[in-house]
Amino acid sequence: MNEPRLIRGNEACALAAIAAGCRFYGGYPITPSSEIAEHMARELPEVGGVFVQMEDEISSLGAVIGAAFAGAKAMTATSGPGFSLMQEHIGYAVMAEAPCVIVDVMRGGPSTGRPTSPSQGDVMQARWGTHGDHPAIVFAPASVAEIFELTVKAFVVAERTRMPVIVLYDEVLGHTAETVALPEEVTVADRRKPEVEPEAFLPMLPANDGVPPLPAFGDGYRFHVTGLVHDERGFPSDDPAVAGALLRRLHAKVENHRSEIVDVATSHLDDADVVIFAYGIVARAAEEAVAMARRQGGRVGLVRPRTLWPFPDAEIAEAVRGARLVVVCEMNLGQMLLEVERVVAGSVPIAAVLRGDGEPIDPDEILAALDRDMEGALP
Amino acid sequence: MTTTAQVREHLRGWAMPHVLCPGCAHGIVGRAFLSAVDDVGIDPDQMAVVAGIGCSSRLVGYLDFCTLHATHGRAPSFAAGIKLARPELTVAVFSGDGDGLAIGGNHLIHAARRNIDLTVVLFNNEIYGMTGGQAAPTTSVGAIASTAPRGSVESPFDACKLMIGAGATFVARAAASEPYTLARIFADALDHEGLSFVEVLSDCPTYFGRYNKLGSGPEMLAAITRSDNRIAIPLAGKRSIPTIDPPDLPPGVELGTLHREHRPVFTGRAGGAT
Amino acid sequence: MTTNGRLDVRFAGAGGQGIVMAGEVLAAAALRMGRSAAHSKAYGPASRGGASRSDVVVSDGAVGFPLVRRPNIVVALTDEAYRKYGHDHADDAVVIVDVDVAAPRNGALVAPIVETARRIVGTDVASGVVGLGVLSRSLDVFDVDILRGTIAERVPAALEDANLEAFAAGREMVG
Repeated sequence: MNEPRLIRGNEACALAAIAAGCRFYGGYPITPSSEIAEHMARELPEVGGVFVQMEDEISSLGAVIGAAFAGAKAMTATSGPGFSLMQEHIGYAVMAEAPCVIVDVMRGGPSTGRPTSPSQGDVMQARWGTHGDHPAIVFAPASVAEIFELTVKAFVVAERTRMPVIVLYDEVLGHTAETVALPEEVTVADRRKPEVEPEAFLPMLPANDGVPPLPAFGDGYRFHVTGLVHDERGFPSDDPAVAGALLRRLHAKVENHRSEIVDVATSHLDDADVVIFAYGIVARAAEEAVAMARRQGGRVGLVRPRTLWPFPDAEIAEAVRGARLVVVCEMNLGQMLLEVERVVAGSVPIAAVLRGDGEPIDPDEILAALDRDMEGALP
Repeated sequence: MTTTAQVREHLRGWAMPHVLCPGCAHGIVGRAFLSAVDDVGIDPDQMAVVAGIGCSSRLVGYLDFCTLHATHGRAPSFAAGIKLARPELTVAVFSGDGDGLAIGGNHLIHAARRNIDLTVVLFNNEIYGMTGGQAAPTTSVGAIASTAPRGSVESPFDACKLMIGAGATFVARAAASEPYTLARIFADALDHEGLSFVEVLSDCPTYFGRYNKLGSGPEMLAAITRSDNRIAIPLAGKRSIPTIDPPDLPPGVELGTLHREHRPVFTGRAGGAT
Repeated sequence: MTTNGRLDVRFAGAGGQGIVMAGEVLAAAALRMGRSAAHSKAYGPASRGGASRSDVVVSDGAVGFPLVRRPNIVVALTDEAYRKYGHDHADDAVVIVDVDVAAPRNGALVAPIVETARRIVGTDVASGVVGLGVLSRSLDVFDVDILRGTIAERVPAALEDANLEAFAAGREMVG
C-alpha cells in the first residue's frame, strides 16, 4: 500500500478509473461530480488517454460508447439531472453490450433540486431509469476508499459482462477527504476478444457465460452494432423468438456473473435483535450508531450492500434472519425500503429512517429510531 | 466511378433485401459513397460508419465496414468517441434531416465546432420517412406532411449555412440525381482533414412525393433541375422557398463545395490539435 | 482526544477567510501525527462569501462517521457563521471566536483573529492560520512543529514567513 493521504471521493474515483485502465472520458460539467472531469482533463492526456467535454450528458455517454467499441475502457460521471439525460444511452449500452462505467454523484432532487447537498434519490432510477426490460449493475461505495475500490471493480465487471456499470455515491462522499492508503496495484480485466477468424465471426454469439467476445473497430472484424433487437449476426430482427432470447440472455449474463458482482458487508449480526440496512454515506452513520448502541448494551447489527443492483436478495434475507426489527436508513423517502420489504416479506417488522431534505442522516437519528420503534432495543 | 462489382464488395449481401422503398434515392447516395471510399483507397477494415435513426441511418447496416447504428440524432457523439479513441480509423456519419437537424442538431453543430475529423453525410428528403411522413426541420414552407396537413408554415434550415456557421471546415451540397458529382464530393470530403459536411438532396416518393403530388422516385429526381451552381428541387419550382433565398435568385439552393478551410483538428489528446 | 479517540473540529467563517485551508492543514497534520482524519466543507455559493464551514474529524483509529457531529472545537470568524454553524457544539467544547461574534457562549475565547491576519499578512485569507494558532495553544493535541511545517507547505512561498508569524500571533492570544 501507498502511504495514507487525504483524498476526496471524486479524486479517488478518477484515480481508480485511470488505475483500472480507463483511457477515455467524455463528460459534461455538473455539481457535485465536476472534480472527476477536471481530474481526468488534467491526467488522462498524461497517460495517452483522451478527454473530451461534450455538449451535454446524452452525447457524453454516446462518445463513451463509441470509444468502448473503438477498444477503449471509457467512463463518464454526472449527477441527477445529467443522469436523467444519460438514461437513453444507458439503455443503448445494455442493448448493444458496450462495456463502460457511469458515475452518478447524487444530489438533492427532483429536478435541479439542491445541487450541493447529498441525496440517495437516484437508486431506483439507476435500476429502472431507461426504458425496456433491462438488467442493471450498480455499486454503492460508503467511503473514499470504497469509491476507489468499487470504481476499479466497476471497470472489471463492465469488461467481463459487456454492461454499462453504474457507481452511485453522494455529494458528501464526493467532496469529503478521507485518509486513504491507495493500493500499489489493482486487479484489472480486459474484455474477451474473439478467437475465430473474421470470416467466421458472429458478433453477438455469446460464450458460455452469455457474454459475446468483443473486438474493437479496426481490429479486422467488420461488424454491425445496433440498439434494435438483433440476431447473432448483430443485424436487426423482428422475430419474437430472437427478441425474447436476446432479452433473456442480457439478464442471464448478469446472473451468470452474480458472484463477482454482488457484494454485501455485514457487522455484528451474530446476536443482533435489530438489523440496520444502510448503504453509501448512510452506512457510515449506521456503523457509528451500531457502535453507540453496542456501548449501551443494545444488540444491534448492520447489513450494508455494496452492490445495490442486482439486489442481493439472498444475502439480505440471511442477514435479517432471527432479527426482531429491521431498520432501513436512506437519504430518500423510501426507495430501497421497497426492496427490503419485498425480501423480508413480512417475516420481520421494518422501521425506516428516511430523509429527503438534502441533509445527511446522523447516527443519533438512527439511535432515536431504535428507541422509538422497538422498546428494549437499547437497554 | 468504381464499377458495380467493386461496390458490391463493400455490401453485406447476406443482409439483403434492404428496407428502403422502391424509388428511394438513398441507395444511389450509398453507392456514390462506396465508390468514393474505393477511390480514396480506404481499407475497409479501418472504415467506421455511424448512423442515427431513420431511413438513411438504416443504410449503414448494409455496408461491410465497422458500422454502428446509434440513437436518434446522437450519431455524431458516438462517431466522436470512435474517432478520438482510435484516430487511425476513417469515421463517417450517415444522418437524415430530422435526425441530424432536429433531435441531433446540438451534436451536429458541436462536432463542427470541435472540428473532429469526421465525414458527415446528411440525407435531406424534407420529411421523416421511417415514422410515416411527418414534417422535418427542412420541410419547405407550403409542403404537405402528415403533421403539416395544411402545408408547413415553419422556416426550414439551410443545413449548409448552419454548418458553416458552426465551424465545419468542409461543407458541400449535392443531389442524388447527380451521382458522379456526388461521388467526387464524397471523395473530397473523405480526404479533408477536419469535419466535412455533405448535404445530399434525396427523395422520398413514399411520403413527400405522394403528399405533394410529385410523382414517382425517378420523376422526382428528374425534376431536380440545375442552373449554374444552383439547384432547384421540385417543390421549390412550384411553391418557392422564400425564407432561405435572396429575392434576386431563382428558387433553389446553392450546389457544390460551398466552404473549405483548414483549422486545427480536435483530438482530445496531449499535444492537442494537429 | 475525547473518550472514543475522536475529535470533531469546526472552522466557521466567511468565504475568503481561509477556513478551508485551515481545515486541510489540521487534517494533514493529524495524518503526520499517525492519526486518521476526514475533511469536509460547505460547497456552492456559501464557499464564495456568506457563512461557510470547514470540518475536520480526527481519530486515533479509522474515522467512523466522517462528518462533524457536535464539534469538540469551534473556531468561528464571523458573527453570521457562528450563528449558522457554531452554536451546536458539545457541552465541554473549546469555543474560539473572533471579536466580530456578538454573543458567544460563556467561556468562549474571544480574540481579534481577522484583524491580526490583516495586520500581519495583509489579507483576510490568513485568518484561518491565526485561528489554527489559537486552537493549537488551547488544547494540547496537535504537534506545533508539524502544524507549522504543514502551513509552510500550503501557503505561497512569498507569504510563508508572514503566515508563520500570524500562526505564532494566534498562539500568543491564549493566556
